[in-house]
Amino acid sequence: MPRNPVEANTGHRLTAKKRFLDQEGRWGLLLTSPYLIHFLVFVLGTLLTSLYFSLSNYDMLNPPEWVGLKNYDRLVHDPVFWKALWNTLYFVILFVPTQTFLALILAVALNQKLKGLKLFRMAHFVPVISSWTVILYVTDAVFNPRFGMANTLLTQLGLDPQKWLQDEVLVIPILVLIAVWKGVGYIMLIFLAGLQNVPQDLYEAAELDGAGVIKRFRYITLPMISGSTFLVLILSTISTFQAFEQIYVMTGGAADATAAGGPNNASLVLMLYLYREGFSFLHMGYASAIAWVLFVILFVLTWIQVRLQKRWVHYE
Amino acid sequence: MARRFVSLTVSMMLVLFLFMTGCSSSADPQGSGDQVELKLGFYSSGASDAKMQELIDGFMKKHPNIKVTTETAPYGQFFQKLDTRIAAGNAPDLWLSDGVLVAKYAERGAIKDLTEWIDKDLNKEDYYGLDFNKDAEGRYWAVPQGIQIGVLFYNKDLFDQAGVSYPTEDWTYDDLKKAAAKLTLDSKGKNADDPKFDGKSVSQFGLTFFSITEGWFPVMKAYGGGVLDPTMKKSIIDSPENRQAVEWMVDGMKRGIITDPSDLKSFKSPMEVFPSKSAAMWFGIYARVLAANESGLNHDVTLLPKGPSGKRFAPVIANSWVINNKADDAKAKAAWEWIKYWVTEDEVQSEWAVLGEAVPVKKSVANSDAFLNSGNKKINKQAFLDSFEFAGTLDTNAVWNEWVQVFGDNVDRAFLGEVPVNKALGEADRGVQKTLDQFYQK
Repeated sequence: MPRNPVEANTGHRLTAKKRFLDQEGRWGLLLTSPYLIHFLVFVLGTLLTSLYFSLSNYDMLNPPEWVGLKNYDRLVHDPVFWKALWNTLYFVILFVPTQTFLALILAVALNQKLKGLKLFRMAHFVPVISSWTVILYVTDAVFNPRFGMANTLLTQLGLDPQKWLQDEVLVIPILVLIAVWKGVGYIMLIFLAGLQNVPQDLYEAAELDGAGVIKRFRYITLPMISGSTFLVLILSTISTFQAFEQIYVMTGGAADATAAGGPNNASLVLMLYLYREGFSFLHMGYASAIAWVLFVILFVLTWIQVRLQKRWVHYE
Repeated sequence: MARRFVSLTVSMMLVLFLFMTGCSSSADPQGSGDQVELKLGFYSSGASDAKMQELIDGFMKKHPNIKVTTETAPYGQFFQKLDTRIAAGNAPDLWLSDGVLVAKYAERGAIKDLTEWIDKDLNKEDYYGLDFNKDAEGRYWAVPQGIQIGVLFYNKDLFDQAGVSYPTEDWTYDDLKKAAAKLTLDSKGKNADDPKFDGKSVSQFGLTFFSITEGWFPVMKAYGGGVLDPTMKKSIIDSPENRQAVEWMVDGMKRGIITDPSDLKSFKSPMEVFPSKSAAMWFGIYARVLAANESGLNHDVTLLPKGPSGKRFAPVIANSWVINNKADDAKAKAAWEWIKYWVTEDEVQSEWAVLGEAVPVKKSVANSDAFLNSGNKKINKQAFLDSFEFAGTLDTNAVWNEWVQVFGDNVDRAFLGEVPVNKALGEADRGVQKTLDQFYQK
């Protein structure tokens, strides 16, 4: 039985110093061992394995052969990789700010005392829990080049119909638009939770001092929910870098795997490229290298965001 | 205290141990006598699974010492799972391989060379498609389970409405295009020969085709071109014959007669265009008969057209049984028994033919009523059998998936009018050769 922690952290500690772990430490390790073992085997183990694969020539059907940095060298000279990297960044740059900004506005709007508020919140949450396949059919009704509403509207206005998802320039912006529509409800909920934690008396005090709506939002709301904002930015950056399913489904990967990421690789993001190289072409070593590059990028970006948070995130 | 600690530790270890062994493959003990347990993998297609199980039960009755367990997944996941299982060393003892993937496994040493057994046990004359699994060195890697072969499908009602006479076996690709122009209608009902025809609002295409098998490959071959030379290691894309073939397609797409890649995207799937009466003709493989029948089309089939010099070509995919190279002798022999049962037994062949999914492998069954008059609709199934005379595979090799992607990406840009044909084929040629060299010149 663990004794009370206060005792453990005082005199008792000193006598147990000689032993590697005292009673309590052992219990702690034992009770967390299911997770620790899971972590060692299924997380750290697989990470190291994939690092080894990324340094080998590995087609899954034969044992890996060590090639050192050759995969990384090929990566640097691979135009498709650079295109995929750019597509990914372009997606993130469009998606993260748009979604965060819209979600914040929605959250503030839905934080009022309105009738039918629950209905609105629910309506924004429906796309979040829908599968991408369903979303594909819904958005196809709009963006289908032959039968979609968007082109019907354009032609009625006397404008040229567009190819939408088959257009190299438009494909990523349209995908971002759909992704924002699907994801904004979830982020809005995080903001809502943050907003409801802002103490009312702050607003009241500010009102007494004569601060208007804009000022109150700027000097109270924003700083008070900066913690949620930080969380949202980190989460959506990481998830966007790992976007796969949406693009695979929406660019027709389900019907024809070679179509995914099209037209002409205009929507090929890193995860899609990794999947294609690893699972369609059996270049598992090369795919592992792509995965590690992705990891390093995300690690650096997250680290920068964490460093920057000191300047603007305000925790009570 | 200490004892409880120990017992807790031990029980946790035990749970973990059980969990771990549950995840790994347990070696199946060979029972007494010569009982063999055979793991059979195939991609399931809903409708045919029950029939497959029936045939497996029949096989076990005939071979009481072999116990067959099945491993299935939908097509899309089957090969991904299979690859990871081969990597982990616990793949099935034999599996059904998509015809275009046999070379991928053969050239990477994952499946058994079956030449000896085929020579010994099968009379090659009796079967269709054995040679489609033969490599450049003359080795056999697989035995067909059912064959897909391409023909020209046409919608009789749409031909009648346009007053165009049905395709004949003498058609050239130019004849096809002439007819297709009359069968292409815009939203105002004008056909493609009409000067007022609006190619931007096509409501009915003369011909739909997509991707490799039911698209560019047979045309290029009939024009005397192709993608790889007979060694399957060298690209022959940049040739005048291919240019002529691709020009034929690009011109058709530009005029709105043939579906281009972007038109296809407006349908839920490329397979939907013909059954939904949005196109009058289609290059389709045998399996497409099912969908056409289901949608109640009044359709028929004939041979694919001739190229300019009279050359013909029909694309073939021989989906085949292959045996895991790591299967031990007993299991490999049991697997071979299954393959023999599948191709030699008339009953098995007829039962499978009735499903209408593939052309039967055994010639005697394919040329009998079991195949020719199967299904609820009479169509000219003889055309599928006649096409074997000029049938060929899709230049399959170890990196087939990859070169198809490279070629497809480039040719699509020509189809969409973004890149001139010369340039697209030149880039495709370089890209495909690079892909080949990466694998073959290690």
